[in-house]
Amino acid sequence: MKNKITTVMMVLLAAFITLGGTTSCKSKKRLAKEAAEAEYKSRVEQAVKDLNAILDDETLWTLEEKEARVQTIKDWNLQNPEVDDLLFQVEKKLARERAQRDEEERQAAEEHEQAAAADAVLGRNFSSIANAGSASQANRVINETLGLFESPNVPVLIIIKQNAGFNDYDRPTTIEKYLNYLKDQKKATEKVFEIKYNNNGKINELELIKK
Amino acid sequence: MKKIIATLVIALCVVGSAMAQDELSFERKQAIDSLALEKVRDLSKYVKIVGSKETSFSEANRVIDRAEELFMSDAEIGVSSLGSNQITYYRVRKYFEHLMRLNYDRVEIEWYNIEYVSDLQRQPDGTYVGVITIFQTFRGYDAEGNMVYKDMTKKDITVYVKRKDTQIGGRTIGFWDVLLGDMRVKETTNR
Repeated sequence: MKNKITTVMMVLLAAFITLGGTTSCKSKKRLAKEAAEAEYKSRVEQAVKDLNAILDDETLWTLEEKEARVQTIKDWNLQNPEVDDLLFQVEKKLARERAQRDEEERQAAEEHEQAAAADAVLGRNFSSIANAGSASQANRVINETLGLFESPNVPVLIIIKQNAGFNDYDRPTTIEKYLNYLKDQKKATEKVFEIKYNNNGKINELELIKK
Repeated sequence: MKKIIATLVIALCVVGSAMAQDELSFERKQAIDSLALEKVRDLSKYVKIVGSKETSFSEANRVIDRAEELFMSDAEIGVSSLGSNQITYYRVRKYFEHLMRLNYDRVEIEWYNIEYVSDLQRQPDGTYVGVITIFQTFRGYDAEGNMVYKDMTKKDITVYVKRKDTQIGGRTIGFWDVLLGDMRVKETTNR
């Protein structure tokens, strides 16, 4: 009798353990699935929110940060129709922004190069006029230099002193008078400080500073 | 009473601020001192160019225009000679035209020792006024290259420097306008 009871107890225990283990395993899988679903949902929500914010220009992110965000969302591989549609729109928008930025950078580089070249040319020509061996030689360089300007009457400002945030100027002159001044005085004591151009790439304002 | 005190305080602040603006720093004052001296040196080159017989008529006239711009509209330049005690004063353009027509085959004009005899001083209207002295040697040569006349003249030039504003490219530019006044003969010798 005692043996029978022991056997029954053992069978019950084994059954309990078996049933309990199965239930625990099923619960873990369910929890994992739920967590995955929650994460997916959260990522979709985050992606929709971020992509809409980018589309509506409601972020303070730089272009690079926006591009990085889009890449992260793409890496999540959410396969969600709404996210995919937004991604398509945002990628088109960022491509436009990137093209615009590249163009702006190209133009800025071109302007910088143009300014540096003009700076060098003007500096060289000022010196050539001041040190010309004859009036005709000086006049030739003057005419060549005037070709860089919108007109002979382009204003020339000469800074005589820079003081805490503002400049003291000499009486403004024109480029034609200034170039002739270099010829007459045989000295070039100013250097280029700032050059402004018109839409045709001609100088329409020149600011010099005493060396 | 409170109103009177408040008005006085505001008035003092305004006057104080205006006085502070009037006071130029040493560096700025030095910059306008140099600018005025430079204008006189520029004038010396113009005198030399116009006086030179090698300068073409059109070029001389262009230079006279530039020289005229250095002066106040009613300024006069004194001319002396060793043969006479009289000093003749000409308007600027007339002086340069006279210089162009001097009856020599070649002239040499040199200005030297250009310096302030009276520093720029601020006047009540905000204009800075000073006097710059120059020494000029004049030599006239005949066709054979012989020096037929020589003198040395000391001249005083009054300079006026005033702060002005102008509009350029849509912005206001504050500049120092240097204008030369009368150029008075102080002494003429044959040294």
